[in-house]
Amino acid sequence: MIVLRYVKLPQENFEEFFNSLKRWGKLYAPVKKGDIYSFQNVETLSEIALDYTRTMLPPKKFFVRPKDEMLKLKEGHWEEANGTEPIVLFGVHSCDIHGLEILDKVYLSDPVDPYYKKRRENSIIIGISCMPDEYCFCKSLGTDFAMHGFDLFLHELPDGWLVRVGSVKGHEIAWGSEELFENVTEEDFHHFREFEEKRTNSFKRSLNKEGLADILDLAFDSPVWKKYERICLGCGNCNMVCPTCRCYEVCDLWINAYEAVRVRRYDSCFMETHGLVAGGHNFRPTRLDRFRHRYYCKNYFDPESGFNCVGCGRCDEFCPAKIEHVKVLDKVREGLQ
Amino acid sequence: MTFQTHDARILEVKELTSREKLFTLRFVDPEINRKFKYKPGQFVVVDIRGFGEFPISLCSTPTREGYFQLCVRRVGRMTKHMHTLKEGDIVGIRGPYGNGFPMEKMEGSTLILVAGGLGMAPLRSVLWYALDSGKYEKIYLFYGTKAYEDILFRDEVIHLLKHGEDMNCHVKLAYEVESPSCIYLEKGYSPRVCKGVVTDLFRGESFDVENTYALICGPPVMYKFVIKELLDRKLSPGRIYMTLERRMRCGVGKCGHCIVGTSTSIKYVCKDGPVFTYWDALSTRGLI
Repeated sequence: MIVLRYVKLPQENFEEFFNSLKRWGKLYAPVKKGDIYSFQNVETLSEIALDYTRTMLPPKKFFVRPKDEMLKLKEGHWEEANGTEPIVLFGVHSCDIHGLEILDKVYLSDPVDPYYKKRRENSIIIGISCMPDEYCFCKSLGTDFAMHGFDLFLHELPDGWLVRVGSVKGHEIAWGSEELFENVTEEDFHHFREFEEKRTNSFKRSLNKEGLADILDLAFDSPVWKKYERICLGCGNCNMVCPTCRCYEVCDLWINAYEAVRVRRYDSCFMETHGLVAGGHNFRPTRLDRFRHRYYCKNYFDPESGFNCVGCGRCDEFCPAKIEHVKVLDKVREGLQ
Repeated sequence: MTFQTHDARILEVKELTSREKLFTLRFVDPEINRKFKYKPGQFVVVDIRGFGEFPISLCSTPTREGYFQLCVRRVGRMTKHMHTLKEGDIVGIRGPYGNGFPMEKMEGSTLILVAGGLGMAPLRSVLWYALDSGKYEKIYLFYGTKAYEDILFRDEVIHLLKHGEDMNCHVKLAYEVESPSCIYLEKGYSPRVCKGVVTDLFRGESFDVENTYALICGPPVMYKFVIKELLDRKLSPGRIYMTLERRMRCGVGKCGHCIVGTSTSIKYVCKDGPVFTYWDALSTRGLI
């Protein structure tokens, strides 16, 4: 009998464990595509980039899809579009798990979004430990370690993986392949702590969040926003790749003369239409308004759950104007002093 | 399901002005009709299947059951389509959404309704509710309009100009464009009808600020001028209610368009509003 909660997966059993996941759903894992990483359907372990930094689109793409059919028009009435299939997301980093929990707060609060809920319930999240690169600043936001929000979490050991079981489902998965696991030894815990310590010390970037919410509120008219307004291209890349950005636009599309679908797709607060209402009034008419709006939205401090940013570094990596999130906030802070 | 809409039949279409039409609707399913309870200030999402959805405030009162009304200005793609609909046509409705005005809390008080242009629509719901329930001390309606032709619910407004005093309802009207009809109205009801903007109607008025609530709806530019008049009379920011407009796609706090605020306070206009106090506007930047 193996005590589940912390178990060890020896390296020689890793591939078998990975293959065993396929019976829980369609398997998605990070693979390298050109210069970027992306969560894709995989069949074999060799396809996966286990040491990936960050995927371009975060795992939100499985739950709030870039383009998503909600309803189908049939004889004048809407029918729910096709259901979801069970999926296994393998190799999710801790920041993205936190990102999903922020989305949960929005989509699972009353009234529950039925599409999101169904997909969340039909998914298994398997986390994996990582080493920060030059963009990561999750440590300063406290999102560098996931305590919940996953089914299993794999931590790298020299000779295998320390597996944390985070849910009943995770327990069942581990149970189903019990023969692959071993009990964790003191030595394994020692290696685990060593890895975490090394990781904690490798962060190159950090966000000073001391009083950040108040400082930003006071800096509403800061000249720093004006400076960045001229640098920002307003392309909305940062919105697309952000694990917590989830604005969507809805439109009805006709597939042919008889069939229509109601589709929602990602929207970006950098688009001029985001604040536009009928009659032509725009509540965020300038790029300055829109740029500032995103920073206020991401750095809104919820006393219950903290900031809306998880420090994944995607907006920095994929910004064509090379605007750095942390740097903007530091500049705003400096401007106030 | 959250985003499913219910069939509602258009019972009547009435042309209010050249741009606005009043639609009277009822749900096809009597069960849904019975369950449909709303408060003045709330809104519904109208779904014209295959064309899209748009949010619109309810302008009828919950005190009159069995139907509800929407005042729609022809201003964009969706509303243009809505204007082509006729009696008997079916549209989808979901809602009601939003918080609405706190009508119970305001019972026994004086209400000052300040409407500008299309802002009359949600406030008409309050006006009728207050008149029907008879639970409010006094009702003032200050209505600013462009021209005589643009007065929404014209027959009702003129009726209240004539007979409102008997119901403790004082209507004042400000118009911007002079026309024979306006001058005729002004002659008949001077000084309650005058040329000017809605803030001119505050001239010479004083209120018992301990027992008064102000309810404002109008174009974005109107709010700060009206609020200044009210604050000059020392009406507390907690007694000033405003109903606001934003781009909305879902109506339930998911789509993110109506988010307003900064790092210390964020509000969803659809879910936390659309009715806010002036105090909310002071504590959440960008509301007005």
